[in-house]
Amino acid sequence: MGRKKPIEIFMPPNVIKAKVGGSGRGLDLAAIQRAETAIEKLSESFGEWIASDVERLIVARAEYESSPSETTFSALYRGAHDLKGQGKTFNFPLMARVASSLCALTESSTDGRGLPAALIDAHIDAIKVILRMKLFDPNDRTATVLATELESKVTAFRDKLGKA
Amino acid sequence: MRGEDYGYGMSGYRFERLKILVVDDNPHMRSLVAAVLQAFGVTQIYEAADGQDALDRLRTTACDLAVVDWVMPGMSGLDLTKAIRNSPTSPNPFIPIIMLTGHTSLDHVEAARDAGATEFLAKPVSAKGLMVRMQAVIEHPRPFVRTEVYFGPCRLRRRDHIYDGPERRAEDPGAQLARA
Repeated sequence: MGRKKPIEIFMPPNVIKAKVGGSGRGLDLAAIQRAETAIEKLSESFGEWIASDVERLIVARAEYESSPSETTFSALYRGAHDLKGQGKTFNFPLMARVASSLCALTESSTDGRGLPAALIDAHIDAIKVILRMKLFDPNDRTATVLATELESKVTAFRDKLGKA
Repeated sequence: MRGEDYGYGMSGYRFERLKILVVDDNPHMRSLVAAVLQAFGVTQIYEAADGQDALDRLRTTACDLAVVDWVMPGMSGLDLTKAIRNSPTSPNPFIPIIMLTGHTSLDHVEAARDAGATEFLAKPVSAKGLMVRMQAVIEHPRPFVRTEVYFGPCRLRRRDHIYDGPERRAEDPGAQLARA
């Protein structure tokens, strides 16, 4: 049996520290505050941004339905995954929750085969409603019940596949 | 390239000296991350909409840090990270990479780490979250490791590779990590 190559460990020069300098002590609270203000300013556009992300998901769903393939399924997955992250960032936590459930569903398959179409559509319909009704409150009763129902159906489906 | 004047950041950081690459297929997320970086005082921000675009940018611009989204069409953030670390034609295999993602499970954190990401930032993106990761990159750089199957920042937690015991065999640098 050949001898394995030794593990090489080394510390590259800390170029970034050399450039920025600084004490490194504590967090720059003023910079964080400035950034939070910048995010707050941008938040006026969040509704419009999330609407275009939802539109992208709807288009991806339609393309997957009319022409099922790994490529169109992958676009559908990316659309759901984007909304999972963007929903949280752009003040639509319930949309993020439903998108997260859709992600879990789409992650059960590599090409979409065998996934229940009705359950995919139920997620997308819920996302459309959350957008249309501008449901920002993570505790909105109706949407929470709907999200819980969708999650339990996805869990049951994944359980059946042994992917819980 | 984006850039506005916010002056120096605190901690004395001269963020205006940095060139930062933001890679995300979603233009809104790029705008958000860029706005946060600008507020930190970064003035040289480059954007790429996909992995290939990012590699092209890295070839023409000596970026100091990359903030990379995980899920993108074509080359994913994970594939981009592996290409940056391992490709023989990589323009900058040592660049710190902050992996940005909606994935939050431990499996995903480990996958990002195994690809060679330096830090991991789960969405929602927050100003504090990004600042903490940037400060970690600046103040606590990880040593690099080259094995037969991996090249990138040391995947052990930082505290694991702090060793203050007696000197060990020089010919086996891995021993220190393995025993820590």
